[in-house]
Amino acid sequence: MAGLAGCAGTGDPNDDSTQQNGGGGGGGNGTSGSSTTEGPAMADAVEVWGWDVAAKSLDLINDPYVEEHGGEVTITQIGRADLKDKFKSTLLSGSGAPSAAMMESVDAASWVDTGGLRDISDWLSESGIKDEFVSGKWGPLEKDGNTYALPWDVGPVGTFYRRDVMSEHDIDPSSVETWDQYIEEGKKLPDDQYLLNLPSNDYDGLWRMMFRQLGGQPFTENGAVNINSEKSLQVARILKRIRDSGVANDLASWSSGWFTAFGEGTTASLTAGAWMEGTLKAELGDTSGKWGVFKPPAIESGGPRATNWGGSNLTIPTQVSDETARRAWDYMAYTLGQKEHQLTMYEEYGIFPALKSTYESDAFDQPNEFLDGQEAGRMFADIAPEIPPYRYTIDTPAVTKAVNTHFRDMMNGGKSPKEAVDAAAQQVADRTDRDLA
Amino acid sequence: MATQDTASQATPTARDRLRFVRQSVSHRLPNAGEGLVGYLFLLPALLVFTVFLGFPILYTLYLSFFRFEGVSNETVFWFDLGFFSYELTRIADLTFVGLNNYTALLSDSLFHQALFNTTFILLVQVPLMVALALVFAVALNASFVRFKGVFRTVLALPVSANLVAYSTVFLLMMQDAGLVNYVLTSVGLPAIPWLTSSFWSRMTIVGAVTWRWTGYNMIILLAGLQTVPQQLYEAAEIDGASRFEKFRYVTIPQLRPVLLFVVVTSTIGTFKLFSEPVIINGGGAPLDSTITIVQYIYQTAFIDFRLGYASALTYVLIAVVSLLSAVQLNVGGEGDA
Amino acid sequence: MREETRREAVWQFLAYAFILLGAVLTLVPLYWIFVASTLDEQEFLSTTEPRLIPGDSFLQNFESLQARGNVQFVGHPGEMTQYVDFGFGYVYYDVWHLWDLGALESSIFVAVVYTLLSLVLCSMAGFAFAKYEFRFKKPMFYAILATLILPIQLLVIPLFLLMSQIGLTNSYWAIILPWAANPLGIFLMRQNMRSIPDALLESARMDGATEFQLYYKIALPTMKSSLAALAIILFLFQWNLFLFPLVILEQGKYTIPVAINQLVGAQRVYYDQIMVAATLSIIPIVVLFLVLQKQFVSGILAGSVKE
Repeated sequence: MAGLAGCAGTGDPNDDSTQQNGGGGGGGNGTSGSSTTEGPAMADAVEVWGWDVAAKSLDLINDPYVEEHGGEVTITQIGRADLKDKFKSTLLSGSGAPSAAMMESVDAASWVDTGGLRDISDWLSESGIKDEFVSGKWGPLEKDGNTYALPWDVGPVGTFYRRDVMSEHDIDPSSVETWDQYIEEGKKLPDDQYLLNLPSNDYDGLWRMMFRQLGGQPFTENGAVNINSEKSLQVARILKRIRDSGVANDLASWSSGWFTAFGEGTTASLTAGAWMEGTLKAELGDTSGKWGVFKPPAIESGGPRATNWGGSNLTIPTQVSDETARRAWDYMAYTLGQKEHQLTMYEEYGIFPALKSTYESDAFDQPNEFLDGQEAGRMFADIAPEIPPYRYTIDTPAVTKAVNTHFRDMMNGGKSPKEAVDAAAQQVADRTDRDLA
Repeated sequence: MATQDTASQATPTARDRLRFVRQSVSHRLPNAGEGLVGYLFLLPALLVFTVFLGFPILYTLYLSFFRFEGVSNETVFWFDLGFFSYELTRIADLTFVGLNNYTALLSDSLFHQALFNTTFILLVQVPLMVALALVFAVALNASFVRFKGVFRTVLALPVSANLVAYSTVFLLMMQDAGLVNYVLTSVGLPAIPWLTSSFWSRMTIVGAVTWRWTGYNMIILLAGLQTVPQQLYEAAEIDGASRFEKFRYVTIPQLRPVLLFVVVTSTIGTFKLFSEPVIINGGGAPLDSTITIVQYIYQTAFIDFRLGYASALTYVLIAVVSLLSAVQLNVGGEGDA
Repeated sequence: MREETRREAVWQFLAYAFILLGAVLTLVPLYWIFVASTLDEQEFLSTTEPRLIPGDSFLQNFESLQARGNVQFVGHPGEMTQYVDFGFGYVYYDVWHLWDLGALESSIFVAVVYTLLSLVLCSMAGFAFAKYEFRFKKPMFYAILATLILPIQLLVIPLFLLMSQIGLTNSYWAIILPWAANPLGIFLMRQNMRSIPDALLESARMDGATEFQLYYKIALPTMKSSLAALAIILFLFQWNLFLFPLVILEQGKYTIPVAINQLVGAQRVYYDQIMVAATLSIIPIVVLFLVLQKQFVSGILAGSVKE
């Protein structure tokens, strides 16, 4: 039974991780005395949790960081949903958290509200890098004047389209300015081809994107529910027109059928964050060169065309020791706050930096092969600083739910757009004990 | 469930004889002095159980009377013996709210929706699955069937299929233009909106769960069939009982404890339904019609961080299901446990 | 008599038809998973229609699964470093480093240990509930049954806390021990063991058997088919555990469901690799059934239904 006991206990060879923070670095590593840090005591080891390409992009910065700042970096790659479950479990049980973890802006407000995240305000003001980030990013990372995370990437939105399909049916996306024009153009497509996909399980995504584009806020400064505002109603009407015009397909987002439709060109365009290009490239490699992208249509003529979809940050849990936290901050400021490293991540994995100073780089002027040589990076870099701020709160999930529920009703003809936004606002107000704006 | 053995309209001779034989092989109360032995046999399980689940269970109960305000890392208790030190930190800031979490449940429409969805799925799924499992088990137990091992294995395999993989395939099959609708339309039936209608999306869940768990329950019933004393069947045959009579008056009563097990655990399993609706219906779509209780508990705890409320939900779930199980056990004639 | 044989034939036909239909319906999604595992991801995504003929990308998909940085699905040879020097030669004693476990081996290992341990605990407890009278028997039984309802989603947090207090985070024991006294198993054994005739136990007692011998020499052998079913239940229970292993285990120790879930990315799902992993993860279950094959037809109390 010796073998069994060894495997189940602590004999696993892969197990030189540093999960118990403050416990020091990994066991077996013999290279001691390599720490070259200055200032107050900093732990040697830093473990960061991230998902997908974001985690991989951090790996690129390991060597330069260790070379310049010493220490020992472990990047743990965990699936997105899994990372959230795992990280939240450690936050709520007060043990086992990593030195730092990836956090989406959508989740930020409610995670900050648990009190499990560390206030990094002092370090942030000391470093003086706050102003170098896109200002729209900070809102959800702050609470009562304190800051709890450092921005990483943004998702400036563009409308990706199949060049071949559009030109075949004589549609010129570059001349499109508003959603109404785009819908009209879309009617040129035959019955079995759709201009875009409007998934009935995910109305809130498109709604939030357009609402933010108009500068809408789901909650007022006083915390009152504001999703029945005039701007929200405008968006609801547009979505309803898209559905009624028959130009929209209805496939569940991210399902294989959804991808298939883009691959076959039966869905001709997709409005999403800049990161979507990487996804399309990976999933539908065959279609390389057949794609293009343009700024998302405005809600009304002459209206703003900058908005955001997605985006993450790095945060430090309260439960880790001060030494570990200091190391984690040092690492975050290095990887997220320095231009060259953010550019490395962008060039290698298309992670679009929230760090404004990077936008001057000519890395954004490179022709993109997948997009038929279009210099899409520059377009997104122009959009990014224009992204309006958006007030994510702990009640963001309630908004998501209410919008989905009542917009579905609206699409089926059960409610008018006005009734739908009012009902959604009422539902949020009821469930969260807030007032209506 | 037709497990009650009170069919007074049946032929008296066969029944009386069977009852006599059954009694001769069946229970008698053991001596009173065996009490301690019972505890000893129970001890290992009880010990492991208490050590590992005692705290989580009681902590959850405790939480259900509080409102979770946030994480806390305050030290409440510590000692240091030099060679051994221990520090206990408080994990949460809690505000006592008495029974508020429980009373709030009464007016929580989403909870009611989740309870309704789960009950709906339960009422269709459990009888369907138990009936199928029973028929498979009896058929596979028949002596003339060849390749028993192969069929048994095939039927029970779905439960080992990975959730992500089988949900992906189910999604593909159930799409508007998927395999199932293709088969339906090719035999002249109308296509069914398996994923978009409230009613049919629940049926899709029922289908997925039944596909996955029927064989599993069949295995349990099959094992139960092996413990039916052969002499009962022989006695029945002497009396000229038909195949159905043997099933009705020998198999069912003898299988009753195991059948009860299957019914009770399937009921509990359905109440704990979580992953299938999340993956197949994206967490409650369309319109909350597939959100289940456990999904709601998960959302409350992990998305909204209302740990106290989630704990209260859990204890209400336990109360409801315990009551239901107790009724099932009593109706099934196990009240004398 | 002819009437009788005709009815027998009809009955046999119906039974076969039913079993075959069930088997086919059961196999369709499984076969689909298998076929998908042999297709290039683009092939899988490019059509929603089912394919009958497997493709030839299975090995390629398996290789890309194995090449992933964050998931080790099937393990590889490890390196032993601990040894005792006997003067005339070295003897490595850290044999557990001989093979670095992947998710597949981890899952098998954990499920086997769990099943063995739990079989003992559950059958003993079930025997107690079925064949002995003692104080608080009924309330204790119902209390154990009630814990079956506890959703793991809520237990995760206090359980994680408990495990970190007793130093079992990132240990397989953390996912074995909490459910070792499985309420499901105790319940099943109680239900089944009630059919053991008291007369049988009583006569053994008169022959001078101890109470433990009654359990070990009479109850267990008569319960072979039930124990086999229980073994399957327990094995599959552990095999399918997801949330707690995800939370408590670290990378490199993942079990199969956790490992497969890592293939669901935020922006893409690696269908090809998921299907390969799912196909491979069915094999141990088939083996389990083969191993337990014989137990299903041998019970001392009964044979199969005689026709």
